Amino acid sequence: MILLQLLINGLVTGCALGVVAISFALVYATTKIFHVAHAGVYTLAGYIAWMLASHGVPDVLALAAAVVVCAAVGALIQSQLYARLERRRATHLVVLIASLGLLAVMQNILAAVFSPNILQFPVLWGSRIIALGGIRLTYSQLLTVVVCLAAYVGVMWFAYATPLGKRIRAVASNPFLAQITRLQPNAVYVYVVAIASAIVALPGVLVPLDLGLQPYGGITPLLTATIAMIAGGVGSISGAFMLSIVIAVLQNLSLLVIPGEWSIGITFFIFVIFMLFRPTGLFAAAR
Amino acid sequence: MDFLFSYLALAAIYVVLGLSTNLLVGIVGIFSVSQAAVFGVGAYIVAHFLMAADPLSFLPALAIAILCCVTLNILVTLPSLRVSGDYFVVTSFGIQLLATAVFTNWTSGTGGASGVPGIPPADLFGYPLESTFQLMLLCLAGLLLACLCFWLIMRAPFGRLLRAIREDELAVAAAGKNVLRAKVSAAALAGGFAGVAGGLYATFLSFIDPSSFDLDASILLLTMVVVGGARTLAGSIVGPFLLLAMPQLLTLLEIPTTIAATARQLIYGLLLIAFMLFRPQGLLGERL
Repeated sequence: MILLQLLINGLVTGCALGVVAISFALVYATTKIFHVAHAGVYTLAGYIAWMLASHGVPDVLALAAAVVVCAAVGALIQSQLYARLERRRATHLVVLIASLGLLAVMQNILAAVFSPNILQFPVLWGSRIIALGGIRLTYSQLLTVVVCLAAYVGVMWFAYATPLGKRIRAVASNPFLAQITRLQPNAVYVYVVAIASAIVALPGVLVPLDLGLQPYGGITPLLTATIAMIAGGVGSISGAFMLSIVIAVLQNLSLLVIPGEWSIGITFFIFVIFMLFRPTGLFAAAR
Repeated sequence: MDFLFSYLALAAIYVVLGLSTNLLVGIVGIFSVSQAAVFGVGAYIVAHFLMAADPLSFLPALAIAILCCVTLNILVTLPSLRVSGDYFVVTSFGIQLLATAVFTNWTSGTGGASGVPGIPPADLFGYPLESTFQLMLLCLAGLLLACLCFWLIMRAPFGRLLRAIREDELAVAAAGKNVLRAKVSAAALAGGFAGVAGGLYATFLSFIDPSSFDLDASILLLTMVVVGGARTLAGSIVGPFLLLAMPQLLTLLEIPTTIAATARQLIYGLLLIAFMLFRPQGLLGERL
């Protein structure tokens, strides 16, 4: 029974992680920027929703506000930081260092404003439990699964069926060609980071419902998500999502043998295995 | 006076560490946020051997620490550098988080979150160095040796090869040089520097805990190199001296102590962004 419970917990975490992974993959595949500050956006979303919810704003509105604010922050990051660096012909390394700096800034502003301690969401329904034949799920876990699966389906639909999605994929596959065919890659980059930031706000709000908020808590999920993205194959949205679930399930099952504080070791071990045997990932697009 | 000595000694230790970061990030152009982890491994190993039931003297303990750090860096860099630079970003974040987990949770080996107190001061050839002044001289000697080492490497053909790799990896490979081997050797060297710095740090402070070797410490290191200036010896020396003086300046601003650490990290982040935007070469460096 405990095995099944861990499996289910892994699926829940995996769905949330999968959304982090696909949003990161969207940015990485299009702009080629290793957007470390994405972890900061993820954390920011939780704090915005927490602030609004504790001031009595309805929960759904708080979530929506977090999504909107994160989208705006994402657009600002791309247009004010990354685009400026690009205009100065910054190298890849310089952009990476700036992104890390931005992550430090975001985390520490949150820590200064909201205290570095763990905050619990003032949401009562979240911890209510449904029991399904011995398996216990909280409402917030159930909500996480539903919303994150919907987000995954939405991203797939968006990327393959809408004009903007097609434009993004065109820019991702060949920025130079996109430039001369007037697809305006620079505008697309702003959209992409904004959309990715909006999407990452969903797990950013839903996961802390269960686990609480912490200003430095975004790095581990982001690291796990990037590992899932690489293991799934860069450029494959479904690969990133599926591998996130696999990694989260493995992590949860490993709790049977290894204490929880070492789970980062498990994740990293999976990464090294992939590096050694299949560095292009499982579902890599043909190059 | 002791205050000045300990400032100098700490700055000297961070210069050695800065050289290690500079070698990786500045010279070869590999982004790394795991330097603090390697630094920590060096510190814990030296602490362990100095405090063992049958204690080693400082230099052999340091030698073991260097060896371990070099091996660690080779093992860490080899799989991911084979593939791509961005994968090494993941590796270095992973190593950093993993190291913090080990330092904090492996209580029997590292003392856990409460750290290792009472590390004895270093001794040289049986002669114990007890005063802060003597330990400072030891750190400065370490600084001079490391700088000499760095300078010699940069003059040698190997140094030119490393710089060429950053400029154009493909051209270097086409010229018949083994790029992967050069990168891994640079990482090994960086590990060695970090090991020396770790050993000096443990014996100088006589107390180590995981908070000195976490991701924030790695960010501080990166800030030191970036502010001082990447790719030059002068830059790696200026950066640590400037940034270690900054907390003293902050106390003048009367920021409440509860958010002092947060404010410091915030400033490091702002410095990283500002320097990348407006002066990527730092104060005394070359273009990154």
